[in-house]
Amino acid sequence: MVNLTIDDKQVTAPKTATIYDAAKLNGIKIPILCHDKKLKPFGACRMCLVEVEQMKGRQIPACTTPVTEGMIIRTSTPDIVKARKMVLELLLLNHPLDCPVCDKSGDCDLQNLTYEYKVNSNRFKDEKFNHEIDYNNPLIERDMNRCVLCGKCARICDEIVSFGALTFIDRGIETKIGCEFDDALNCEFCGSCISVCPVGSLLARPFKHKARFWALTKHTSVCGFCGTGCNLTLGVKDNKVLTTIYDENQGFHKGQLCVRGRFGYQFINSTKRLTTPLVKKNNRLVEASWDEALEIVAARLKGGSDVAALATPRLTNEELALFKKLLLDNVGTKNFDHAAGYAHAALTEGFARSFGASASSATIPDIQKCDFLLVIKTDAYETHPVVGFEINMAVKNNGVKLSILSDKKGKLSKLPDAVTLVHRPGSEVAVLNAIAKTILDEKLADGSAASLSGYAELEQALAAFDADTVAAQSGLAAADIKKLAAEYAAAGKALILFPSGQPYTGHTAELASAVANLAILTGKYGKEGCGVLCLSEKNNSQGAVDMGFFAQDGGMNGLEILEACTNGGVKTLFIAGENPLTSYPDRTKVKAALEAVEFLVVSELFLTETAAMADVVLPVCSFAEKEGTFTSTDRRVQFFKPAIRKGAQTKTDFDVFSSLIKRLGGQAPASPAAQFAEIAAGTAGYQGLSHVSLRNDGAFAAVAMTPALVVPKAAAPIVAEQGKLALVVGSALYHSGTLSQYGEGPMHVCPEGYIEVSRSDAAAGKIAENDLVTVSSATGSVQLKAKVSLRIPAGVAFAPYHFSEAPVNTIWAGQPVTMVTVSK
Amino acid sequence: MNPITPIINGMAITLKHMFLKPVTLQYPTERPKVAARFRGLHALNVSHDKAKCVACYLCPTVCPAKCITVEAGEDANHDKFATVYEIDMLRCIFCGYCVEACPVDAVRMTGEFELANYKRQDFIYSKERLLEKK
Ligand code: SF4
Ligand code: SF4
Ligand code: SF4
Ligand code: SF4
Ligand code: SF4
Ligand code: FES
Repeated sequence: MVNLTIDDKQVTAPKTATIYDAAKLNGIKIPILCHDKKLKPFGACRMCLVEVEQMKGRQIPACTTPVTEGMIIRTSTPDIVKARKMVLELLLLNHPLDCPVCDKSGDCDLQNLTYEYKVNSNRFKDEKFNHEIDYNNPLIERDMNRCVLCGKCARICDEIVSFGALTFIDRGIETKIGCEFDDALNCEFCGSCISVCPVGSLLARPFKHKARFWALTKHTSVCGFCGTGCNLTLGVKDNKVLTTIYDENQGFHKGQLCVRGRFGYQFINSTKRLTTPLVKKNNRLVEASWDEALEIVAARLKGGSDVAALATPRLTNEELALFKKLLLDNVGTKNFDHAAGYAHAALTEGFARSFGASASSATIPDIQKCDFLLVIKTDAYETHPVVGFEINMAVKNNGVKLSILSDKKGKLSKLPDAVTLVHRPGSEVAVLNAIAKTILDEKLADGSAASLSGYAELEQALAAFDADTVAAQSGLAAADIKKLAAEYAAAGKALILFPSGQPYTGHTAELASAVANLAILTGKYGKEGCGVLCLSEKNNSQGAVDMGFFAQDGGMNGLEILEACTNGGVKTLFIAGENPLTSYPDRTKVKAALEAVEFLVVSELFLTETAAMADVVLPVCSFAEKEGTFTSTDRRVQFFKPAIRKGAQTKTDFDVFSSLIKRLGGQAPASPAAQFAEIAAGTAGYQGLSHVSLRNDGAFAAVAMTPALVVPKAAAPIVAEQGKLALVVGSALYHSGTLSQYGEGPMHVCPEGYIEVSRSDAAAGKIAENDLVTVSSATGSVQLKAKVSLRIPAGVAFAPYHFSEAPVNTIWAGQPVTMVTVSK
Repeated sequence: MNPITPIINGMAITLKHMFLKPVTLQYPTERPKVAARFRGLHALNVSHDKAKCVACYLCPTVCPAKCITVEAGEDANHDKFATVYEIDMLRCIFCGYCVEACPVDAVRMTGEFELANYKRQDFIYSKERLLEKK
């Protein structure tokens, strides 16, 4: 700590603080325009000038100057005010001043400062800027005439997003922010640049002219797409969510969002939302009253174990717990599951046996605290982009060493000094086992590991995985595997990340245990910056596991339920929010099951292709219309309240389940809060939490671990077939599950499915970018747009699974790797 | 005071007025002359064949009666314009704040004061009805 005087006030500040930080810490406001606490100091605008007595009263920028002992600082002498006014006059000189039509008005730093400093005339005269405005993409408008050259957009895109789409181009008075070759913006559209721009240069086009900033009501919420659990501020007017608003103080991510969180909110107020219950009559779905619909459903639910249910892990913890209660106590069935039954196996089976807990042993903030980071599959960036930002910052700012084990390269591979080991698809467990074997062979294991249960069996089983054999199978070099093992073991704090979810059928319990073995063998878990983090796919995937909403005690799992629908074992199927027809593997099988089942009830926001097959469709609420809690992938339990009123004829899933419980003669908790009290009492790690205690900030639910070494079974190596490509299915950056198809933003930039192939395979098949190609496998064929990409190795292809049009599950039957032919 | 005096005074005033010019207007045959600054029905000013309004939302923001509805759109040249501009005359208090707030001189108040109508719906003046008549 250093002592200094600011405006005659004795204050102290940390040694690393700048004058601006020190002032802010002590409640003294210094105006800024180019400074952002998330970015490195830059000093471009000179709004923050202050006088320091020791520097002979010279005016210096507060945002870049570190404090020193005994500094005497003045922040608002008449001279400084004059200087700041001059800065503003110069900024306004070429500025268009079109506040009446500028969407930033009301939230504009330049406007606010101009008002505050009463700059109502200008001593100088010059022409206004006349830059062409970039309307080339549907999400971000770039009007460089309003730019004040603070550089925040370029810096955030580089420092945090690590895309580097924007930079200063030209020099002197001609300087402006531009893209490559002064071309149109074409990036990952996270909108981070919009969020930090202090003026109206960068604007969100989906919100353009929809409302003025001051007319919006701001509601804090939690993102309803992926498991990162980012916090959101929704801008609401006339009961419609019109935009997301940046709040630099929100969440661990300081207001950063990805393209889905920032631009994917339109599904909430979509005109395609279901508005009334539908009941099938004469083979057509017709509108019905809630009473009628619930009566039919309740009657069908009396079938006991003939009844099965699939729920989406997008429901709240309260809803999932209540649904489970309905099924177990009132219906009398154990057949329920979420995420197709296998997508949670990494947690419910893998981590359960390896760590004795169905949750990850590390948290997202650990990423910034570790020394060494191993990411399995570059897709971790696409599935959890804001976790990706954390990785970017860890590598770029904290010098974390990044190694990636993946079947293709990806954005993370481009980070400084990142090492990507590209193995043959499907061989990740074998490679992880080889790493474990190297750790044992080279005596890199932690001393305590040998005493753990399963050590001897593991050592024996790993004999088959020496680096040379695995290297030959997986297409890696044995030396690289050994080096990775040595680096991981040598790192003080090391963390392993891997994504899981419906498209990642290879990320099973085996993979989870193989990963856990590394952490357990080297003792890198249960400490700060150490552990294994399974990035589960949906916003409440971890919650669904914590609520126990999956097959247990002899209940059928997701895929078994569908099987039983086909062969008559299940007669009534209740699907709450899942869309298996598109998101579960093997469309033909799923379709047959949904057709065969006697009675299908679907509660949904939209008439999805699955809902269209139902006998009863119940219109339910999105996260913006209900209250409850979501548990993020690192087990942060977060509470949110409704941002808008629900439609007159829609109910929350919570209400649906409690009405059904009552119709079946049971008793339901009065409110989500009461249900949460039950959850808190009975769920490991949730003790002491309540809606009230979670109101301001979420809380981590503790994970108690009892480690054990488990032998992970590696799949047999994939045999390459002449003329066929090894297709791996996954997530696209712009989408999450099938829900994002109803968000305009994601659909603007990624409207349809595609298949990514390597350059050499494209050349061999004479395939050019955007060609329509037919992709066929043993189960079927589908037409997809081709993308030719440098990141894909020869012989491999990648396709995202989100799209109802041209669904990839016609060719993908759930194997981690599918052999396909691609032809024009 | 004599109780008769006020009555006599009153009669005197009445008598005097019998010889003065009448102040009553024979409305509707006789029309009042409204002052230039009278605040009657609004009109949207036109320039280059378009409403001048840029849909900045300042008038609905300032309006104390919250009776102005503006919705903005983007035209082919990416310029902002009002797709909806409506004033609910039943709620308007004719304060003129909207005129004062407008940064582009797009709205003014005319001398029009005959605003009676048969249906409530007819008191909602749409953009077309408010556009300055040429
Ligand atoms: S950027 Fe700010 S000052 Fe400039 S026109 Fe927009 S609102 Fe006005
Ligand atoms: S949207 Fe994101 S990736 Fe694109 S320029 Fe802005 S910060 Fe960079
Ligand atoms: S576009 Fe915005 S954020 Fe970027 S330099 Fe200009 S004013 Fe700053
Ligand atoms: S989709 Fe995931 S990463 Fe993106 S904003 Fe939402 S929670 Fe965050
Ligand atoms: S005159 Fe006053 S009350 Fe009437 S529309 Fe204008 S601001 Fe509103
Ligand atoms: S805020 Fe300090 S120079 Fe811009």
